[in-house]
Amino acid sequence: MASEAATTKRSRLRAPGFLLALPAWAWLLFFFVIPVAFIVYYSFGYKPGLLTLKPGQINTIATDKLGFSSYHEAWTMADGAVVRTFKQTLEISILGTLLCLIIAFPFAYWLAVKVPEKWRGVLLGLILVPFWTNFLVRTIGWQILLTPDGWLSTGLQSIHLRSTPLSILDTRAAVQLGVVYNYLVLMILPLFVSLDRLDPALREASKDLGANRVKTFLQVTLPLSTPGIISGMLLVFIPLSGDYITASVLGGAKGTMVGQFVYEEFLTAQNWAVGSAMAMILMGMILAAVLIFGAVFFIVSRVLRQRRKVVLAPLGATA
Amino acid sequence: MTSQAATAPMATSATQARTVKQHPPKRDWVNLGFLVWGIGVYIFLFLPILIIVAYSFNTGRALLAFTSFGFTSFSNALTQTEITGPVKVSLISAIGASILATFIGTLAGIALARRPGKWTVGFVVLLALVLVTPEIVDGISLLLWFTKLGTVMGSGYTRLWVGTSLFAIAVVTLIVRARMSGLDESLEEAASDLYATPWNRFRQITLPLVMPAVISGLLLSFSLSLDNTIIAQFVSKPGVGPWPVYVWGSLRQVLRPEIAAMSTMMMLLTLFALVVTALVLRRSGESSTAIATTVAGG
Repeated sequence: MASEAATTKRSRLRAPGFLLALPAWAWLLFFFVIPVAFIVYYSFGYKPGLLTLKPGQINTIATDKLGFSSYHEAWTMADGAVVRTFKQTLEISILGTLLCLIIAFPFAYWLAVKVPEKWRGVLLGLILVPFWTNFLVRTIGWQILLTPDGWLSTGLQSIHLRSTPLSILDTRAAVQLGVVYNYLVLMILPLFVSLDRLDPALREASKDLGANRVKTFLQVTLPLSTPGIISGMLLVFIPLSGDYITASVLGGAKGTMVGQFVYEEFLTAQNWAVGSAMAMILMGMILAAVLIFGAVFFIVSRVLRQRRKVVLAPLGATA
Repeated sequence: MTSQAATAPMATSATQARTVKQHPPKRDWVNLGFLVWGIGVYIFLFLPILIIVAYSFNTGRALLAFTSFGFTSFSNALTQTEITGPVKVSLISAIGASILATFIGTLAGIALARRPGKWTVGFVVLLALVLVTPEIVDGISLLLWFTKLGTVMGSGYTRLWVGTSLFAIAVVTLIVRARMSGLDESLEEAASDLYATPWNRFRQITLPLVMPAVISGLLLSFSLSLDNTIIAQFVSKPGVGPWPVYVWGSLRQVLRPEIAAMSTMMMLLTLFALVVTALVLRRSGESSTAIATTVAGG
């Protein structure tokens, strides 16, 4: 093919440059990058006292002296309750992400491999129906279900599966259940996409070469679906860590998450400096968790690849 | 390839059973286990939704205490302005945000697929950052920014449009890019060879080709904006509070059955939107799996 002609043509097509993406650049710069940069900046500021307020200052934030005082204040606030909540948030997020993965993987595999093609679209659409119901309303659905005098509780008692009313509402377990529910779909979708793209011929080849089900799964299906696993884990872990709605509806006083503190600082206490500092700590925590997970994953996959590497020995030397 | 994916495992097991005599067609316990697991997940996913639908027929004053069955909550939900007001705000802000996001995202997606270069790396990183930033951070940063901008961003609707458009822009861009990079560029080149102006080429060739992606992007961003709770809570102004903010407010006082009734009706609306998208995409010849993953933003 006349590649030269093609390239000149392409450069003619490309004439307007990346102008088409300019609105998106400008929009995201103005409404995402700059505002987030302000959070970083404000987290080093402080909340001025009402009596020391200088003219022209607003009472939510001052940045004439920059320092780590807000970080210190955020960290030591409420007798260590904030620190405990950070720890609890991290635990809920990690456990929630793992639970989502454990529930979603067999499900996505079933949907992508076992279900007949003509049903697949409908079944996939069905998963999205709860996802399209308002987040808050879904969580209220769980609140109704879990109330001690609700029908689930009385039903379990009447068939003698429980002797006492359900006492899960307003505990950490309820929050854990709620977040797994709310973010499960975000795990199912990327897993489904990666398993659906997997050519069934690969599994059959593995079977033909004498591998049993478990071996085929561990050596063919699982390694090839890692992109889906990774994007699913990110899609669940990150929003889950910043969620405060599930915890507010289901957690009561025992099941608190960091997002609730950030919410309080901004919308109730009007302390932007401490709120920003908390948000920064939260983002740092998320980033650290993702990086540690990434490093562990990288090392483990390197080691596994080394161990699985098949060295073709010269003829006659095979054991 | 996808149809092969579906039938292959079943077909092979069936032919095996037929041709190889010593392989009796016994019930496969592993497959049965998968089926049970799948049904279990569906029950889990639908349980609270069904509860909301069931409780929307509650005629009592409080949602949580079921008194008797009736339709009063539905008629109340449609007539009381304190319920219909926030829903209207939600619809207007979702329509505005989704049109905005689709416009900006479609252009960016086409540019990403057709004019790759050094700038794409930075841009994709920016999109990824938008996608992975927790909503609460978007919410607080926009709250600060809007307060700083003052009256420029004073309108409650503008705030909601901006706030809910960010994530949607990233999603639309990625959907349109995926569709565009799967299309042959020679059609557009042919249009240029036939002396189409850049505008005509875009309008008559490029746009019709990406239309399925644009429509699913539009509907997806509409749903995302409609569902947005966290950002809306931070940026909304009193008086222009969307539906989730109203529900959040009533959570602290008393939850009324009208909330469940309105949610049920909105669920039907989004289901309808979903079916319309699927039909539009089916007419353009996509497979059902491709439709579902597009609708899902996969």
